[in-house]
Amino acid sequence: MVNLHTTLGIIGIELDHGKAPATTANFLQYARDGFYEGTLFHRVIPNFMIQGGGLEPGMTQKLTREPIRNEADNGLQNQVGTIAMARTSDPHSATAQFFINVKDNDFLDHRSPTSQGWGYCVFGRVVAGMDVVNTIAKVPTTAKRGHQDVPVDDVMITKVEIIGE
Amino acid sequence: MATLFVSDLHLDPARPATTALFLDFLARQARQAEACYILGDLFEAWIGDDDDTELGRVVVNALRSLADSGVPVYFLHGNRDFLIGPHFASESGIQLLPETEVIDLYGEPVLLLHGDTLCTDDVDYQAFRAQVRNPVWQARLLEQPLAQRRALAGQLRETSRQALQQKATDITDVNPAAVNQALRAHGVRRMIHGHTHRPAIHEWTLDELPVRRAVLGDWYVQGSVLRCDEAGWCLEPLALSIG
Repeated sequence: MVNLHTTLGIIGIELDHGKAPATTANFLQYARDGFYEGTLFHRVIPNFMIQGGGLEPGMTQKLTREPIRNEADNGLQNQVGTIAMARTSDPHSATAQFFINVKDNDFLDHRSPTSQGWGYCVFGRVVAGMDVVNTIAKVPTTAKRGHQDVPVDDVMITKVEIIGE
Repeated sequence: MATLFVSDLHLDPARPATTALFLDFLARQARQAEACYILGDLFEAWIGDDDDTELGRVVVNALRSLADSGVPVYFLHGNRDFLIGPHFASESGIQLLPETEVIDLYGEPVLLLHGDTLCTDDVDYQAFRAQVRNPVWQARLLEQPLAQRRALAGQLRETSRQALQQKATDITDVNPAAVNQALRAHGVRRMIHGHTHRPAIHEWTLDELPVRRAVLGDWYVQGSVLRCDEAGWCLEPLALSIG
């Protein structure tokens, strides 16, 4: 379990090591390295998801490690309160950024081992602080430096606390 | 790499220039795409997958080449080709979508539909649609001999043409409330459809959020392609070749 401390409260997340071993290990490595401290929830879309963990204030991208293999074929679904890895249109391009679903987004689930159907890998779920997630999902947003849906006032991850891993 | 959307080609043996333009699109532009979506009215008329026509064969083969080259091709039914079935799909390699589908387009949920269900002001058409989209009605129609189906399709087109001439233009466009309702019902901020032959990208605010609706153009006097990639959406015309 990890506690994601943000400027708007704490989000408790239970990781699914069994179903997403490589993804959870990757996430924990970034967490242990302190990578997420000072990164933003930089893409916030109500009724969809909140995305963060890769950009710093001013919208500068942090340097990441190599991308990981997409484990979206693990049967976990993008339901409300689950956490999944963000990526580009290449299925196996996730690095540090993740998102939390604020709605059942079944169109993000794995359908086939193709670039269109691969889906987004769920690797855990929110077990505490879903109200914090919903608060973040509702903050006013704007466009900043070519990015859409960026909170007007920075919503930042201040600390990631790993509990009993 | 981009994702391409087309609709309302209304392919018809009587308009070979449009067919040629579409075949060229499939053989060149679409080959470079990440995926290609056809949002209905690919054909002017389709009376069943068992109707063996030259046009049908040519289009099946072209779609098959594109699908075999590794570009996924998706299709959802329009009001002209609602009888395209699993046989056509397996022959051409396209994947049939339900009448509404939410897809992931570069990290953004987007609702796809043909668009006829949004024209709620056209009450007569909606009644007609309810009839022809009824699976029982369709099954009974498909049991009829091809000649009879062909005659019925001709009749329906003529009725539709006459009705269109009599209807005010705003009736045949989408109803804004129906659009907003569809966006809300699917919980999305983006929608792509065809049907109305009024190509445009509309942007407005719904429930305090910026929303966007792309309307694909018909292929009667030129082609129309919506190109979407990480940078945004762009509606492009394609010129019909002359001669």
